[in-house]
This record gives sequence, C-alpha cells and structure tokens, in this order.
Amino acid sequence: MSDTAKDLHSEYMVINMGPSHPVTHGTVKFLLTLEGETIIDMKVDIGYLHRGFEKMCENGTWEQVIPYTDRLNYVSPLINNVGYALAVEKLIGIEAPQRCQYIRVIASELARISDHYTNVAASGLELGAFTAFLYFVEARELIWDLIEMLCGARVTANYVRIGGLKNDLPDGFKTKSRDVFKRCRELWADVDKLLTKNRIFIDRVRNVGVMPPEDAIAWGFTGPCLRACGIPYDVRKFHPYLVYDQMDFEVPVGETGDNFDRYLVRMEEINQSMRIVEQALDKMPTGPVNVDMPEYRWQSKDDISNRIESMIFHFKTVTEGIKPPAGEIYSAVEGANGELGFYLVSDGSGKPYKCRVRPPCFPLTAAMPKMVRGSFIADIIPTFDMINMIGGECDR
Amino acid sequence: MADINIIHNYPKMGIPMGKLKPKRVRKNIELTLWERLYIFEIIRGMHITTIHFFLNLLGFIFPPKGKKRRIMTVYYPEEKLTLPVAYRGRPVLVMRENGTEKCVACGLCEKICPASAITIIAEEKENGERFPAAYTLDMARCVYCGYCEEVCPKEAIVMSAEYEGLARRNRQNLRFSKDKLLRPEKSVKDRIEYIRGIYAKCNY
Amino acid sequence: MVADLIESIVKILFIFGVNIGFFSPILGWVERKQSALMQDRVGANRADIFGYTLIGLFHPIADAIKVLTKEDFIPDGADRLIHTLAPFISLTPAIVAFAVIPFGGQYELFGHRVNLIIADLDVGLLFVFAFASLASFGAVLAGWSSNNNWSFLGGLRASAQMLSYEVVMGLNIIGVIMVYGTLRLSEIGAMQVNFFDWGIFLQPVGFVLFFTCAIAENKRAPFDVAEAESELVAGYFTEYSGLKFVMFWMGEFLEIVTIGGLVTTMFFGAWHLPFVSDQMLLNFFRFAGPNGAAILAILVNIITFFTKVIFFIWLQMTIRWTLPRFRYDQVMRLGWKMFLPIALINIFITGLVILVK
Repeated sequence: MSDTAKDLHSEYMVINMGPSHPVTHGTVKFLLTLEGETIIDMKVDIGYLHRGFEKMCENGTWEQVIPYTDRLNYVSPLINNVGYALAVEKLIGIEAPQRCQYIRVIASELARISDHYTNVAASGLELGAFTAFLYFVEARELIWDLIEMLCGARVTANYVRIGGLKNDLPDGFKTKSRDVFKRCRELWADVDKLLTKNRIFIDRVRNVGVMPPEDAIAWGFTGPCLRACGIPYDVRKFHPYLVYDQMDFEVPVGETGDNFDRYLVRMEEINQSMRIVEQALDKMPTGPVNVDMPEYRWQSKDDISNRIESMIFHFKTVTEGIKPPAGEIYSAVEGANGELGFYLVSDGSGKPYKCRVRPPCFPLTAAMPKMVRGSFIADIIPTFDMINMIGGECDR
Repeated sequence: MADINIIHNYPKMGIPMGKLKPKRVRKNIELTLWERLYIFEIIRGMHITTIHFFLNLLGFIFPPKGKKRRIMTVYYPEEKLTLPVAYRGRPVLVMRENGTEKCVACGLCEKICPASAITIIAEEKENGERFPAAYTLDMARCVYCGYCEEVCPKEAIVMSAEYEGLARRNRQNLRFSKDKLLRPEKSVKDRIEYIRGIYAKCNY
Repeated sequence: MVADLIESIVKILFIFGVNIGFFSPILGWVERKQSALMQDRVGANRADIFGYTLIGLFHPIADAIKVLTKEDFIPDGADRLIHTLAPFISLTPAIVAFAVIPFGGQYELFGHRVNLIIADLDVGLLFVFAFASLASFGAVLAGWSSNNNWSFLGGLRASAQMLSYEVVMGLNIIGVIMVYGTLRLSEIGAMQVNFFDWGIFLQPVGFVLFFTCAIAENKRAPFDVAEAESELVAGYFTEYSGLKFVMFWMGEFLEIVTIGGLVTTMFFGAWHLPFVSDQMLLNFFRFAGPNGAAILAILVNIITFFTKVIFFIWLQMTIRWTLPRFRYDQVMRLGWKMFLPIALINIFITGLVILVK
C-alpha cells in the first residue's frame, strides 16, 4: 500500500455475501474482502443445508436410503437414485435386467437434462436474462411432466429400487417424450439465440472463473466444469455403467475452462442427453425390470397375497431390510455436476454401516476462491452459477 | 490462459483415449466482428422475444384448439392439472363398503416409512381379526415416497391424487387420524388398479 | 392574461394527469404483463374486485394500498434527513422534465394562441439534461445515507455510471442541435413536418446512441448495475421500503415516459403524422369550423404523440426483458471507449455535411 493510501486510512471492505443474499439463496455464505469492487480474498462457508444424511442412512434400512438420496442433488434426483442402487447392487454382486438398465439410462438422462436446464436458466436469471430463464423453466416443466408420468413425482422421484425399478415404463411414454423433446428443442434454440452469441452475455462469462486443466484435476473437478477445461473425462465413457457403452453420444469439451465453456458444454450436453434418451427408447428390449431375487427385491403383490412363504419372507425383508454381504464398495455415476460417488460399507446387517457420498460440487465450491480472486464482485455470480453448487448435495 | 490445444494433450496427463468422442463446443476464443458489434445480436434477441410476445398475445385472443390459451400456465384454484395416474398424492386408507378399514395393522408401513410418519396401535376383534385401533399419519413428516403403498400386502393404504388441504397453522392439526384418512374404495379405484398393474405381476 | 393562466393550468393538469395518473400506475401493469407475454407466462392477474380481475388491472390499486400501509423503515445509523430526501430528489426531475416536451403544435383557439407545451423554454433541451443530472443525486445520496455496504456500492456504481453517460448523451444531442439549429424543443418538433426531415433520417447514429444512453441514465436493464439484484441485493435502494421505495420506482417509470417523449420529439417527428402537416390537418377538419378544426387537430396531435411515446415505452420494455446485464467495468468501457468516440465522430460528420450543404 502506498503512503497516501495509508494516510487516507483506506482499508479493505469485509462483507458477508449470503446466506440470505439473492445469489446464494440461503445455502452458502461468502466472506469477501473487497478493495473497491475487486475481490482480494474470499472464504466460502458451507453447511447451511446440513441434515446429517450419512447418519440418517446408518439408521435406516438399505431400502429406506433411496428417498433420502432424492434430496441430495434435488435438481436431478433420479441420477442419485440410480447411483445409489448401482452401488448397492455392486456390493451385492447382482446386475439388473437389460430392460431395467435401459429405463435407468432414460431416467438418468432426463434428470441430467432437467439439471442442465435449471443451471443454465438460473445463470441467465442471475445475469439479468430473465426471459432465457423462463424459456428453460418451461422446457424443464415439460421434462418434469415426463418424469412425473414415469415415477409419480416431479422432484422426489424415489423411482429406482435395489435390483430393479418401482415400475415399468408407462404406456405412451415414447410418444409423449417425442412431443416434449420437439418443444424442448425449440426452446433450446430460442435460448441459444438469446444468449450464445450475445456479446453482453459473452462478456459476462468469457475469461471469468478460468480454471487451468492441471489445476482443475488437482482440485478434483469432474463433470461439465472439468470438460470445459478440455479434458473429456466422463464416467459414462471411462467407466461405462448400465448400457452407456451401447449408446452413441459425444462428450462435449471446451477449451479454456472459463464460464463460457461451462455454459457451452452444458448446452451441448442437453442435446446429447436427448439423443441418448431417444436411442434408449428405440432400442428398448422387452423383459422383466426387476431381478428375481426375493431376498433383495420385494416380491410382487400376487406372490405375497397368494403364497404364505412369500408373505412371511416379505415381512422379513421389509422389517429387517435386505442384507448385502459384508464389505465395502465405491461406485460412481456421472451426475449432472460431475462424478457422483457412493462409498458403502456393509457389516452384513440390514442397515448400511456407512454410506458416504462423494458430491461433485464440493470440490468445485472449494475452488471458488481460486477462481474469483482478483476479479470483480459481479464475476462471482456467473462463476457460482456455473459450478452449480447444490446445497443438498454439498452439505448433505 | 491455458494451452488452448489441451484437448490434444490429455493422453499426456494420464487419461486414456478410449473410444471417446470428444466434441469441441467452443468455436472461437476471440470474439468475431459480428459478436463485437452489439447491435445485431441484440436485434436478433429482441426478434425472438417479440415473436413470443405477439404469439402469446394472439394465443389469449384466439386460443389454439383444445386449449384455453397458448401458454402452459394453469390458473390454479379455478383450473387444475390433469395428473397422471402414477402421481403420488397424500396417502389414504382404503375403506371397505361396510365402513371399516382394509388395514389389518400388520405394521409394515410403519416399519418401512423413511420419515417415521406412521404410528399404528393394533387391536384384535372378538373373531380374532386384527385392526388398527389408532392409525396416525403425520402429514408434517410424510415425504410422499410411496413405500407404504408398495409394501402393503392388503392394498389398504394407497397414494391418492389429493394434494390440497395440507396447509395448517398448527403442526398438531397435521396428525391425521383414521377418520381423516379413510376413503371409500370407489374413489381410489384408479390408483388401486394402477398399483395392481405395476406391482402385481411376477417379476413385475 | 387569464386565458394564458387557464391554458397553462389545463396543460399542466393534462400532463400531470397523463404521467402520474395514467402512465405511472399503468406502467407497472404493462411491465408485468409485457414481460409475462414475452416469457410465456400469464403475469399478475389475481387482484380482483367482486370476482372481476380485468386482466390484472387492479394490481396497481392493490400495490398502492400495500405500499401505503407498509412500515416506513429507516435503518439504524442512517442519515435520516438525506435518507428521506433522496427519493424526492430522484422523483422530481422525472416529473419536471416533461414540462418542456411539446405534445402538439400551435393553434388558434377562440382567438387565443395555444401552444401545446407547458413551458416553451428557449433552452428546453438543456433544461431536460440539467434535471436529468439532478436525478443522479437521488441515487447517490440514497446509497450513501443508508448505512449499508450494498447500498453504498450501488450508490458508487450509480454515480459513476450516470455521470459518464450524461457526457455521452450531451455530446449526442449536439448533433441534433447542429441539424436543427435550436435548443427549443417545440421548434425542433415543428421543423420535422417533412417526413424525411425526421431526426432518425438526419441523425441515425445519434438516435441509437441517445436511446442507449437514455436507458443507461435511467439505470434499467441491461444497464442496471447500480441495482443489480443478484450482485448488490437491490443496490442503492436496498434499505428503502413503502412509499419511499415506490418513489424510486415511479421515478424510473416516469423517466421511461420522458425518454419516450424526448426520442419522439427529437428523432421521430414529434406530434406529426408522416407526410401530414398541422395546416393540412386544419384544412382536413375544416367542416367543424375554425375552433372545432383546431380542437380536432389538437386531439390528433396528442394521440399521434402519445402513440409514438407508447411505442418507445414498449421498445424499452422489450429491451429490458431481453438482455442480460452488463458488468460495471463493461458499462464504463462502453460509455467512454465506444460511445464517446462515436458521438464525437458523429458531430464531426454532421458538421462536415452541414458545411458542404
């Protein structure tokens, strides 16, 4: 600091951004040190949405954890369902039937689409492009209609079961999804025209929140934020789960790792996800959607009401919970924000001994100070939006 | 600024090529002249919003066939959404025609409920039949997961299509007892048929 | 003398009625409804009287009742006097500026010369800008007196932005002044009888720049950095509530109308229909007698003028709901590095053309 500045008693302004600030919507607090509008330092304070997810899981049966996972990333709950079910299946050592796997792919991709819609829309909103926000919210509404038709709820899906699904695809799903995707693509094109080439938008996001690829890997970035740096890491491609290896889709990658690349990657992923859903619907095999293993998947109601052995066994599995063999497992799926991992430890009882979640947005949120230091207050907004920190997942 | 050709360097960083299909989304690093001049893209954006403006305005005056207006908003209390049969509203107990509940107080729903919303006090009739003397469903706790419906061996509790009347000033008022939960079987017939369809078949 | 007084009072009441009584409440409704239609929504339509909602037209009334019954909140540690004064400083210029904008020509009515402008100042254009600069004090004082960091940052941004755009706007109108050779707005309007003499044909660049700068001066999106709700909560009026908050709001809406009026007067032929002069109107309405013809012509003038104003209000709303917000430094860069040179070049070229002619 120069002598004049010292004489003027000039000092940094320390300011709390959040938790009740429009951009942090109650889930995070930034402690900013400002010089004028420039950010000198920033501390991220998380934990406002902590609910003790892991402890709750330890007190519920393996089945009861599934509704809890809906509340992790509450914008794309179906992916969390799928991720948890896959982890438990890996622990048990079973594989769901083919048709189930296809439907799970459809469910995850629908959730991914809705998540990216929300994310791009919300960033538009917070940058002042209110209209783009509502176009994508309309599109998301249509996708949620599909999800509601599939699982009976819009957000709290609770759809995937260990070793199967709650129910099969409903009638008319394919026709409806075709109509929905048509309208969604129109709205996508509108938003694309409103934002992608608009210089006001480009100036807000370009070269803002840049993360070099080496640093991104070092900080543990995954998902669209890592792909924006130019690294095509996608769990669906590198460690294919379900039937993703039979799907034809591209991994969008950016070049510089700034917010504009993150935006472009997400916009392209919406299209790729729609392609995957259409392919999966076309290739959909017939057959059962649940494994025929009463010890892991509840039996059908016909069996329960007609056979006394089934009835007794049903009571046993429901009250005690299914019992995966003792052991520990890590299984990851490609969440909407990145690698969503479940680390499960079983002691052979009906309840998880430990259920740890690797949230994709925790490393991203941790890197916020690095990304915004030295830039303006206004740059926090696109950066924070584009890392898409979801309180429910980050704080658990 | 990072090396912009990083996409060609990633094998060096220990990431295998695999059968990836990377697709570059960033067309240009620097702004093109077209983008540099604000005005054209602004006019294009205004063109989009203006088209939406006039189409929606016309949609109010001349509604499209089979709809009241072009936009998808539903005027809620007056109009209601048509819910898919899969929709999980609040759980209700199914009532037999003689006014008693189908529930036999086996306690499976109480056990599986992830939010511990259900409390059952079971009793026996003279003929040895079990029935719930008290069945309390705390709607302040219920998360609408539908497990109670899924595990119930008697089709006695189902997720109805009701979603209203759950705003109360006092949480005590949200503890619904049996008389508030019972619904005649006819009113939830669709749902019972639906859950038979999805849960009843062997291997579903 | 008495006739002059009556004429002035009638004109003042008319403009006051149109601005405060019509535009200011109705623009709140227009903003809601127009943004809704642009965004595939319905917009506010729930306020009803005996079950009639009238496409949401009762919402301004509901809003008025609401703000009148709100607590008038002054934060602890705020400068009470300045905090109270700021909204007035912000609102007054917006009302006053319309005094020098003509909404019709000059007519002979009952032997009395009627000039359809409240104050026909010979420095009308300067008067507008003098008062527009006053409005920036409102924002700055509101931000500084609120004892809130976000308000303070908003006030800083507002002062820097409004001062820099005033410079560009001032340079812009020099082009207009050079073309028409007068600062009197009624004369500028009167000179645009011929369709091809409209300002938009003589000063196309000037129009784009003036319109943009005027929106920036009014601090509306995409230039609403001073009140950017996602960055600064609500900027300089974060700590305002009730009627004082609404005064900022009203000031903004009235300024929209003023901008519409100014743009119409300077660039879009003021009260003139294309290819129709006032004399032609009088001749056309000859059947109604001399006074009747004048009254009808005045009506046509006023309707034409306000139709144009309403179009520019619509345009401003469309811009506001289409574009994302600039960043603070980008607003500054745009003002000083792009608009200022273009405005200077515009003056230079205008001068060159006038010289050649």
